[in-house]
Amino acid sequence: MAHSALDPIALSLLWGSFVSVTDEMGSTLRKTAFSQAVREADDFSTGIFDRQGRLIAQGNFTPGHLGAMPYVVRTVIDYYPLETFKPGDGVLLNDSAMGSGHFPDFFLVSPVFFEGELVGFVCNIAHQIDVGGAAPGSQKVIGVTEAYQEGIRILPVKVIVEGEFDQQIMRLICANVRMPEHVRGDLSAQRNANHLGVLRVQAIFDKFGVEGVAAGIEEIFDRSEAKMRALIREIPNGVYSFEDCLDSYEIGGEPIRVAVDVTIIDDEVVVDFSRSSDQVPAAINAYQNFTRAHAMFAVRAFTDPFMPQNDGSIRPVAVIGRQGSFFNPVFPAPSGGRAAIQVRIFEVINGALAPLLKDKAMGGFSHWSNPIIGGIDERTGHAFIYYDLVFAGFGARAYADGVEGLAPVINCANIPVEVHETYNPIKINRLELIQDSGGAGKFRGGCGLRKDIEIRTAEVQLSLLGDRHARAPYGLFGAESGALAASILNPDGEAIALHSKQTCTLKRGDVLSLRLAGGGGYGPVTERDPAAVRRDVSDGFVSPEAALRRYGIRIDS
Amino acid sequence: MYRVTFDIGGTFTDFVLEHADTGERRFAKVLSTHHEPSKAVLQGIRTLLDEAGIEAGQVEAVLHATTVATNAIIERKGSRTALLTTRGFRDVLLLGRQKRYETFDLHLDKPKPLIARRDIHEVSERVLFDGSVEQPLDIAELDTLLEALQAAGYLSVAVCLLHAYVNPVHERAIARRIAERGSKMSVTLSSVISPRIREYERTSTTVADAYIKPIVRRYVDELGAKLRDAGIAAPLAIIQSNGGLITPQLAIDKPINIVESGPAAGVLMCAAIGKQEDADHVLSFDMGGTTAKLGAIERGEPAILSTFEVDQLRYKPGSGLPLNISAIELLEIGAGGGSIAHLDMGLLKIGPESAGSSPGPICYGNGGELPTVTDANLTLGYLDPGFFNGGAMALQDQRAAEGIRRHIAKPLGVGVEQAAWGIHTLANANMERATRIVSVERGRDPRQYTMVAFGGAGPLHAVRLAMAVGIPRVIVPVGAGVGSAIGLLVAEPRLDYSISKPLILADGVREAVAALLENLRAQAVDDIRKLARADLEHRYFVNARYLGQGSELRVAVAISADSAADLAATRRNFAAAYRRTYGYDEGDAPVEATDWHLTVTRDGRTAARAQAQLRTESIVHGRRAYFPESGGYIDTPVFRRSALRTGQRVEGPAIIEEAESTTVLPPGTTAALSTAGNLVIEILGGAGDGA
Repeated sequence: MAHSALDPIALSLLWGSFVSVTDEMGSTLRKTAFSQAVREADDFSTGIFDRQGRLIAQGNFTPGHLGAMPYVVRTVIDYYPLETFKPGDGVLLNDSAMGSGHFPDFFLVSPVFFEGELVGFVCNIAHQIDVGGAAPGSQKVIGVTEAYQEGIRILPVKVIVEGEFDQQIMRLICANVRMPEHVRGDLSAQRNANHLGVLRVQAIFDKFGVEGVAAGIEEIFDRSEAKMRALIREIPNGVYSFEDCLDSYEIGGEPIRVAVDVTIIDDEVVVDFSRSSDQVPAAINAYQNFTRAHAMFAVRAFTDPFMPQNDGSIRPVAVIGRQGSFFNPVFPAPSGGRAAIQVRIFEVINGALAPLLKDKAMGGFSHWSNPIIGGIDERTGHAFIYYDLVFAGFGARAYADGVEGLAPVINCANIPVEVHETYNPIKINRLELIQDSGGAGKFRGGCGLRKDIEIRTAEVQLSLLGDRHARAPYGLFGAESGALAASILNPDGEAIALHSKQTCTLKRGDVLSLRLAGGGGYGPVTERDPAAVRRDVSDGFVSPEAALRRYGIRIDS
Repeated sequence: MYRVTFDIGGTFTDFVLEHADTGERRFAKVLSTHHEPSKAVLQGIRTLLDEAGIEAGQVEAVLHATTVATNAIIERKGSRTALLTTRGFRDVLLLGRQKRYETFDLHLDKPKPLIARRDIHEVSERVLFDGSVEQPLDIAELDTLLEALQAAGYLSVAVCLLHAYVNPVHERAIARRIAERGSKMSVTLSSVISPRIREYERTSTTVADAYIKPIVRRYVDELGAKLRDAGIAAPLAIIQSNGGLITPQLAIDKPINIVESGPAAGVLMCAAIGKQEDADHVLSFDMGGTTAKLGAIERGEPAILSTFEVDQLRYKPGSGLPLNISAIELLEIGAGGGSIAHLDMGLLKIGPESAGSSPGPICYGNGGELPTVTDANLTLGYLDPGFFNGGAMALQDQRAAEGIRRHIAKPLGVGVEQAAWGIHTLANANMERATRIVSVERGRDPRQYTMVAFGGAGPLHAVRLAMAVGIPRVIVPVGAGVGSAIGLLVAEPRLDYSISKPLILADGVREAVAALLENLRAQAVDDIRKLARADLEHRYFVNARYLGQGSELRVAVAISADSAADLAATRRNFAAAYRRTYGYDEGDAPVEATDWHLTVTRDGRTAARAQAQLRTESIVHGRRAYFPESGGYIDTPVFRRSALRTGQRVEGPAIIEEAESTTVLPPGTTAALSTAGNLVIEILGGAGDGA
């Protein structure tokens, strides 16, 4: 190879050291953050860059930042030339287009100096609890028609000067957010993470020397690129297309078209979302960095999920979308609630590549639901926010049924019923898998999930953030799709079907019944092992009637 | 009189026989007999007694560690168990916490649950978060269900109802009903085994306990009977995951507490060594064939966590089954002597795949073909092919070198010695990251710590590992190969209890806190009676966080002169712990307590001074070993540890050998045998990059 200042053993050590630093930075951030998104959902990232702004290593945290991290330092350098940096500085930004597609994601970039020279940068991104705007959490979807309603927008600004926060800028930020102390605390956590990253990167330079590191990272880029190209080359050339949709962004509206064309040309891949709908006047648009993040995630899933992310490995992959389209909107398109759509970006690429890479494809996910209920808790007289993360089944795979009850694409833990009931005036009446909801097939999709939430205070505001109410998760290779999702108000009384993004007022005693979709199946139903059907019936995943109707197997109960 | 300890491990059962007065010890190692563990136990004890010329009646205590509970869980070979839960919540156990333990792997599977959905049954009842009963338990329906469970042949029943940690009335009613029916099914209630908030973790704990209960009972009964048959009338004690000893009856009552039995004892050994050598802060480093385990000891006390995860996949947090038990803090990673070296993108990587003990490293000659860390250590001259395991096993050094050449050196275009050195160094780099997690990331400054190294491969890597993270001193104890069995000798009784109650630590909650402490004391009363010990202290702890945060720190509840909790002092304890861990505190921000704990124990006994065995042989030979600082392969002095005199100094580069392990001293380090017989290694010039 060309850059042989380091022997292969030293190079192995160098690479491992960089990855280890991103990991350690992340662990610092996670433990001291207030933001639930950071500490529970790993909704943060860490990265190390060279002085040209090229990404050397990124921590394996949320996939949501894969699209922004590689470019963030170059953006920062455009605003602050290299010679303007001093040790301990920190530049902050949260712009949707420059960042990861919505304002709550705060990026903090800090320079690394070694022996008086600027040798690189460290960066971390954390999802802040609130950045102002129309609703708590800054992710309201319906009724938010432009980004100006979504809170404070920060273009790159030096918020930390030689280790100290600039109190004027902090005053400006804190005046625009609902929980200034938490934002302040989380920015401290971000500063700590970068501080640790700087020390560790300096130690790497100390051990391997400036020239050793420089040669080493060129080698890392080249080898990562070569590996990525080799993996892509295994996929036959061609244009592979798939279409699905997202529920409409307003009651009575048309579904949002999600169309992808994946073009494989030898060792490069272009993922193009141009044929999708235009950008919408609701806060779920996917800015290009967000689209790219989940497209990257999908490409990795179909090549090597553990492929290191750096400047080299991303070179052979292009993610594009027509300007002004849903997947490459133009500012001030609102985007706070874009987390609702990440699953679909993955799924259409999965659908497009499935015929080529059958072993790696899976049926559609149950999607997920992210309802928020807010109001006054009569028990305390204080405001409360009930924030929930509801996950159900995975689609079936080439070799097994879909996994039951697991976070799709997004990765976080659920919140225990007992914790929710202790801190909010609500009662959960059911939390159970839905029988017969998993798509039938040679392998069955995971089941949908029902969660019934009863209101136990006078009045609350509900914002739903779900999907798959209009089109069910698809099955593959002859399998059935999963059952449709539904959101039903008062299922045991005068039941009302709600829109998947509905916002409305609920009263004491109202019961919101969330029914997540079932995962899609895989392979023809006729190839289902009868023993698996019997096992499913005995476990209650499938009813005896459905066993007969969908699988043709009679089971006496 | 004598004390016998044994640690039933995966491959070997290790034994120690100690003279209660002189502290003189004998060791033995016997292959474990899994289908009937007592067989190996009796064989080992018999051997030791015969060698020492002692009668069975002279044994006054038998202390042991066992994998019986863990194995039943890992192999999913527990008893047929049913779970009863609140209507509407049948799927809590199957759903789990739903987070993928590998974010980037969508093809992963969740851990296989101990029971299937068909074993989970709902009962009509509902208790609310404040303990009020919204819907009474339907007894008629329960009876029908119990009838069906008995008919179906279930041996054990787990009961976990929503909010039972606040009000256990319905769980108790179910237990009563099962007893009234004269059922032989064993019963575990979540409100007894783990009265803590969070239904999934509590259910998981309750089910696991129920699942192993019949097996642990059978095991304890059988072992006790066999020992009595062999003439040993001394009481049998079992060590729990928290490092505390309990009686067989307590193990039967709450078997879940013994899942991590053996490793806990190893950490106790390190704590005792720390006391012998006046080390306040100790990191324990145990490296064996497939994994390395790291733990921490503060002022003689092993760090304790109030949760534990059993049967993890790929050593990933979140991949195993969570248990709400008190357990000694250990970080386990896939780095051992058997870890396989391989190439990825032309870069060298070690593990986590391991050749294990079969086929094992290439040099074992048992069919292993892929180079391992042990093969590299042999090639580097650190291991003596003729003195491995005291010479019991001849190592094939030529084949090891050839394997490294073929799989690593040639593809990389480097020499065999450079490749072997790379394997050794990268294995250290993996453990360095783990050591940082246990030390720096948890607020422990490595410069204040002493590392105690044991396990077959520990002393080979310990000194360089310590140098890399800035730990100034390493100790290799006597009998490092039977560390857990030695640890049992210093174990004390210990019982842990917990209860959940979220409270802001402020003056208004005094009475609530007093009631909580009383509740904890009441939980312990029965068990203390069964232990029949009068000399135990009560110590209280609390998990706390700043209001709004998600992770807690465990700190001592300060108790004032009138035996009540001192909340202001407890808040100060929390702030100090927070500063230690994260470098700053949040001043007057409200502190929220979540879980409250009681520990009933006493201070660990000081290890008896081991007799430095005096031998007259003075074997010092040499061999070629690799030290890059000294220019590569150099003639290196090799000492037999048994030949070292107390106080004698050995300067690195050097190698010190004993039957079960080999200590490598790089340049810039010196070793000396302490009066207690421990090998104490000082790193000159202190630390590397450290904290």
